[in-house]
Amino acid sequence: MSEVILQVKNLKKYFDTPRGKLHAVDDINFSIEKGKTLGLVGESGCGKSTTGRVILRLLEATEGEVFYEGVNINELDYEGMRKLRKEMQIIFQDPFSSLDPRMTVSEIIEEPIKLNKIITDPKERFERVLELMDLVGLSRRLMNTYPHELDGGRRQRIGIARALALNTKFIVCDEPVSALDVSIQAQILNLLKELQRKLGLTYIFITHDLSVVNHFSDDIAVMYLGKLIEKAPAERLFTNPIHPYTKALLSAIPRPTLDKKVEKIILKGEITSPINPENNCRFSDRCNHAQDICRASEPPLEEVFPGHFVACHLFKE
Amino acid sequence: MSNKSEVIATENLIKTKKRSQGADVWRRLKKSPTAMIGLGIIILFLFMAVFAPMIADYDDEAIKMNIKERLQPPSSTHVFGTDEFGRDIFARIVWGTRISLFVGLISVSIALSIGGFLGAIAGYYGGRLDNAIMRVLDVLLAIPTILLAITIVAALGASVLNLMIAVGVSNIPGFARVVRAAVLSVKDEEFIEAARAIGANDFIIITRHVLPNSMAPIIVFATLKVASSIMGISSLSFIGLGVQPPTPEWGGMLASGRAYIRDYMYIVMFPGLAIVFAVLSLNLIGDGLRDALDPKLK
Amino acid sequence: MSDKLLKIEDLVVHYITDDGVVEAVNGVNIGVDRGKTLGLVGETGAGKTTTALSIMRLIPHPPGKIVSGSIELEGTDLLSLKESRLEKIRGDVVSMIFQDPMTALNPVITVGDQIAEAIMIHQKVGQSKAAQKAREMLEIVGIPGNRAGEYPHQFSGGMKQRVVIAIALSCNPKLLIADEPTTALDVTIQAQVLELMKNLKDKFQMGMVLITHDLGVVAEVCDDVAIMYAGRIVEQGTLEEVFNTVKHPYTEGLFNSIPNIDDRRDKLKPIRGLMSDPYNLPKGCSFYDRCDYAMPVCETQKPPKIHFGETHFVECHLYQEQQDFKLNGGKE
Repeated sequence: MSEVILQVKNLKKYFDTPRGKLHAVDDINFSIEKGKTLGLVGESGCGKSTTGRVILRLLEATEGEVFYEGVNINELDYEGMRKLRKEMQIIFQDPFSSLDPRMTVSEIIEEPIKLNKIITDPKERFERVLELMDLVGLSRRLMNTYPHELDGGRRQRIGIARALALNTKFIVCDEPVSALDVSIQAQILNLLKELQRKLGLTYIFITHDLSVVNHFSDDIAVMYLGKLIEKAPAERLFTNPIHPYTKALLSAIPRPTLDKKVEKIILKGEITSPINPENNCRFSDRCNHAQDICRASEPPLEEVFPGHFVACHLFKE
Repeated sequence: MSNKSEVIATENLIKTKKRSQGADVWRRLKKSPTAMIGLGIIILFLFMAVFAPMIADYDDEAIKMNIKERLQPPSSTHVFGTDEFGRDIFARIVWGTRISLFVGLISVSIALSIGGFLGAIAGYYGGRLDNAIMRVLDVLLAIPTILLAITIVAALGASVLNLMIAVGVSNIPGFARVVRAAVLSVKDEEFIEAARAIGANDFIIITRHVLPNSMAPIIVFATLKVASSIMGISSLSFIGLGVQPPTPEWGGMLASGRAYIRDYMYIVMFPGLAIVFAVLSLNLIGDGLRDALDPKLK
Repeated sequence: MSDKLLKIEDLVVHYITDDGVVEAVNGVNIGVDRGKTLGLVGETGAGKTTTALSIMRLIPHPPGKIVSGSIELEGTDLLSLKESRLEKIRGDVVSMIFQDPMTALNPVITVGDQIAEAIMIHQKVGQSKAAQKAREMLEIVGIPGNRAGEYPHQFSGGMKQRVVIAIALSCNPKLLIADEPTTALDVTIQAQVLELMKNLKDKFQMGMVLITHDLGVVAEVCDDVAIMYAGRIVEQGTLEEVFNTVKHPYTEGLFNSIPNIDDRRDKLKPIRGLMSDPYNLPKGCSFYDRCDYAMPVCETQKPPKIHFGETHFVECHLYQEQQDFKLNGGKE
């Protein structure tokens, strides 16, 4: 068993809305080992991005704990958090809005080094920026261009370089490729993978696209309406999904091939609102197999095989 | 070796390639003929303000009464004629430019720094602080600008300094609103969150990321406000609450000249035109800037 | 030849901007048969949307300009029609669905009225008749008719896209142009909408141009495929031809870039580099600098059109000498 770098315990994040409490993240638990990737999958509104932000304390948790290398980060003060931010970073989805349009490429990459006073000598800092640009495959001649002059793939590389500028060990990747063209998507995915191997990084990879995490993750966790409904090693989740939602999600992905057609499971309805949810299985109103028990009580997340957790009443029967 | 030469190459690039965004804005502004006309006029005024001592002698031509030469029509010695005290109207307009532009700029700076600060923290922090600040400013906003300025000058007494304070303070709510709106539109962008993730504190985020990205509407608003401040200063001087005679000021010149309007209309016409051109040119520039600063029109 | 609904020949569209001329579409030839669906596949900037907008003559002008070519709809040349005639065709004979359902609907008009409006513009029917038809259309796209009185914000993203589809189909168009209709939707909702579109296509017997970047969507909905790169169709054929016997290196690159969900060990092999600068397209093949098979001739000469059978063709130098040249599937 290798070392656990991040552990999330009973994490909750509620937002106040005029219509009631929105349960964005509702009592989830998981942990990640050093150097591994956890894929966090779900559709819009399932709370996956909120989870990523609460882990980095860009949002404050309502309840629950996040342990990073044994330290409960929710109890850290501003200075302590500032120290930790050198190791925990984030890569954003939108390569257009996540870079300050008034800063040049080198200024953006330099900022974290300057702010955290990692390197104080401007010349050395400049060297480090060039080094980072090389690392993520950005041509050095782009250093004085502005982000809006570049395409999405290059902009995302800037975002990655910024995340790596500190002594980064752990990165939350929030849909880092979903805004990019397929051919560029593959370039960025390969880059992230290579960086993980070179630098021993640990990733939480948030995405709505299961085919992307398939290549990438060691473990996959599926979220639905703020709940973690299934978690398993990637291999197992793809070959042996248990939760009806995971099954539907897997079958719904359009496959670019004409042979071996997968039977599509078309779900009824759409995601319901996570505001003041009732005490039932949150998937029950869309589930094709829902029984009375699903509408009556919430299924707990249980380990059904070693390493494979699922929250579904039906599996037990 | 090759690595080193690339470093040198990139260092050279810094000097050549860094095309600032200001240059972009200027390129687009140049395309608007009305903005360029406005800019031409305002440069002329600025020129007059800076080189006033070389154009006309302050004590001799703009201040000293010369009853012998009173109420003379425009001629080669007095291009714009003379007023009821025999002072050269051209000289007084040239010196008046100094007062108008100076007071206009300073009062807008006062409004921009105080209103901008209040608007920025209201917009950035939101919530109760936002409510408290904006409601107080709403009360100020409910009083007509000129009335507010009159009240302040009346309370403080008429002087150039008080005039600047009065016009500046009465413009604070407007600036606070514009800056707040600009900050609100930027603060939820992901790059703000990115800055927080790399450990930047609120001060750094506001000064390095939020404000530079909300400059466009603020610059436009400030330009237009300089114009309306010039109007305000002239209005206050016209009713005797602004710059006191004999200091040359356009609004004051209008006021003292209006008794002679039937027979010597040039006494009020030239200062009137000066106000019109100054305000018009600033408005033209403001409109041009609004288009040039809008990145969507690229 | 089967009966052609839409025929585009040698279409050239330029955008004239301050920084130069963008050759967005560069001699495109495509055809859509009655009742068939053509998938127009390509990445950002390939010219897909420009091609689609040209069909409706909706290119913003300036800066856009249709330089040459012809677009025929059932034999009528759309490019020579008067604007007033075109307005009758838009929304009636040809309809369009846009990518973002959030902005395609007017937020202050009920969805029923929006559908009825489209009907009343093109058909001589009264208000009550149109309102009734609107409710029927909602039922067809799977929304209860009694929700006609609700406003767009009361609908979710998938539902809004259904409303947009209902508006597009309300006048029984012969040709539907769908520009990335499911890209903004979640996967399970995308599956629902694709299912709906497949059913409606059969029901209404209309031709469709489906613009997408997702080859998976193409595999599910389309009969024919055209792969677009830098303003040109680089490969075209029936679904089977293009998917089973890939000919163009770019098409192959696209397939290799997609993560294979059913095989974890399959390695991603991205296309290197970026699409050429549209202000400054290369003299020879536009794909030259990204192509693994590039030859000296590719740099200097435009690739010829090579046919394989009646429907399948590719624009590539590789097949000039040897018709039976085989791509190696990206494995070195």
